[in-house]
Amino acid sequence: MRNLAALVRRELGVYFVSPMAYIILTGLILVFGLMFWTEMGAASDFAMPFSFDRLLATLAAILVFVAPLITMRLIAEEKNRGTIETLMTAPVTDGQVVVAKFAAALLFLMYLLLPTVAHAFLAAKYGTVDAPATATGYLGLILMCSAVFSIGLFISSLCSSQVTAGVVTFVVSFLLILSSLIADRVPADTWYGRPARAVLERIDPFKYLEDFLRGIIDTRPVIYLLSVTVFFIFLTVRVLESRRWR
Amino acid sequence: MIEVRNITKVFPGAVAVRDVSFAVASGEIVGFLGPNGAGKSTLMRILTGYIPPTTGSATVAGFDVLRHSLEVRRRVGYLPENNPLYPEMRVEEYLEFRATLWGVPRKQRAAAVGEAVQKCGLGPVRHRIVGHISKGYRQRLGLADAIVHDPQIIILDEPTIGLDPNQVRQVRDLIRELGRQRTVILSTHILSEVEKMCGRVLIIHGGRLVADGSPSEIVNRLTATGRVRLEIRGTANGVQEQLKQVPGIAHVTERCEGDVHTYLIEAGHGRDVRPELFRRAARSSWEVLELSLERVTLEDAFAELTEGERGAKPAPAGQPSEVRT
Repeated sequence: MRNLAALVRRELGVYFVSPMAYIILTGLILVFGLMFWTEMGAASDFAMPFSFDRLLATLAAILVFVAPLITMRLIAEEKNRGTIETLMTAPVTDGQVVVAKFAAALLFLMYLLLPTVAHAFLAAKYGTVDAPATATGYLGLILMCSAVFSIGLFISSLCSSQVTAGVVTFVVSFLLILSSLIADRVPADTWYGRPARAVLERIDPFKYLEDFLRGIIDTRPVIYLLSVTVFFIFLTVRVLESRRWR
Repeated sequence: MIEVRNITKVFPGAVAVRDVSFAVASGEIVGFLGPNGAGKSTLMRILTGYIPPTTGSATVAGFDVLRHSLEVRRRVGYLPENNPLYPEMRVEEYLEFRATLWGVPRKQRAAAVGEAVQKCGLGPVRHRIVGHISKGYRQRLGLADAIVHDPQIIILDEPTIGLDPNQVRQVRDLIRELGRQRTVILSTHILSEVEKMCGRVLIIHGGRLVADGSPSEIVNRLTATGRVRLEIRGTANGVQEQLKQVPGIAHVTERCEGDVHTYLIEAGHGRDVRPELFRRAARSSWEVLELSLERVTLEDAFAELTEGERGAKPAPAGQPSEVRT
């Protein structure tokens, strides 16, 4: 447990001593602030109700872009620098290392989300915000990101270059959020059409986000996102272990 | 303390270690000596539980490196080749992090870090960022990392690489001091280092253990044919003939500079021909300037053990001799 805490602390520390954390944070505040501003403006111009959950949906899209930047270094960097050897010859298990890296990425995400929460309070001051829906919306965002992060972590464990890991993660997560669009184009009347559609429609993480944004916590998206996370964390541990079978 | 039984490590396309067995007792300082790519680092990685052997087994401090890897790692301090460090951390912060991973209790951590910093002479850079300190300091930080948790066994892969002569001497003293209570294995391809630090040398070449013993033992074993140097001034008539009559002399080469004749005499197995040479010289009243046994150094021994098969016979097909370490 002490090991895990030390590993998480180090991983988090790396984010904050590199310029990356501040660039991501600044970028996110800037983009989200602009979105907030235009959304607010549109709502007042047309005297429409302001909806914070639409902003959260946009935030989800931004986070899919940001995720590779957060996860790409996790294991690829250790491999590239050779520090994986000092790390894995310390008395820590492969599982501890992987879980610590994942936890650090998720904690960093929560830190990134903090300023956006401030916007919710701001919106609530001048209008109405559906507080429970916003809360479940954030829960959905975190669950979606944990699924995407675990995929990024897994890809990082396969690469020895951060850039490769980042690009591959970006492509994979982009394909995931496009999957329901692709599903619509798959001809339904062929032998592969129905199963392919069934799969593609169900792997889109955005689709699962909709319920959360409406304030509904359904067990299916929770289970889907959590099982994706656990599955890829498990695969990452196996990749690290694989040096022992080769 | 360490027992290695018939370890072989095969990488795709290369055999890094072939059937190596040895044992290291508690308190020994053992040097792995061998040219680059001999398999030293691979062997060390196996002992630290980083990679498993393909066949064979090893126990460290009584624990199998495969089945009880964590127990082994708890007792070993390891400085890997190329000394990988986290450049973004500060020196003390790094050592504290490493001490925590090894389960040094919170209250003793600062003391443990302080001791490692002091032992390795890191005082002047203790608050600096690892990426900003010089190579010499970085190497010593790697060493401090290997000893901060006070391990029973210390494994150092090329500990003095990249250091200037003064720093090399400091590190050597440190290793000797550590070796008083602990078991130390270090690797190097610098021979004088091994002679100065290690009580025992394992010479590794092409993945095989080619010699095992104290530096002087290895030298002696290899110098079965002692070479004697004889220098005579003046007329050299009949010297060659006389020398040939001495029993045990295999070969004589003559060199002369002015009126000084130098004979390099190769004698047979473990035979000291000097007394006989002296008697003959005295009888024939040669003007002897020098009569000495040439000292064979570990360097010669190393060359003899590791160069003998190089070039002369190519590695058998399918077993490239250049391997990753």
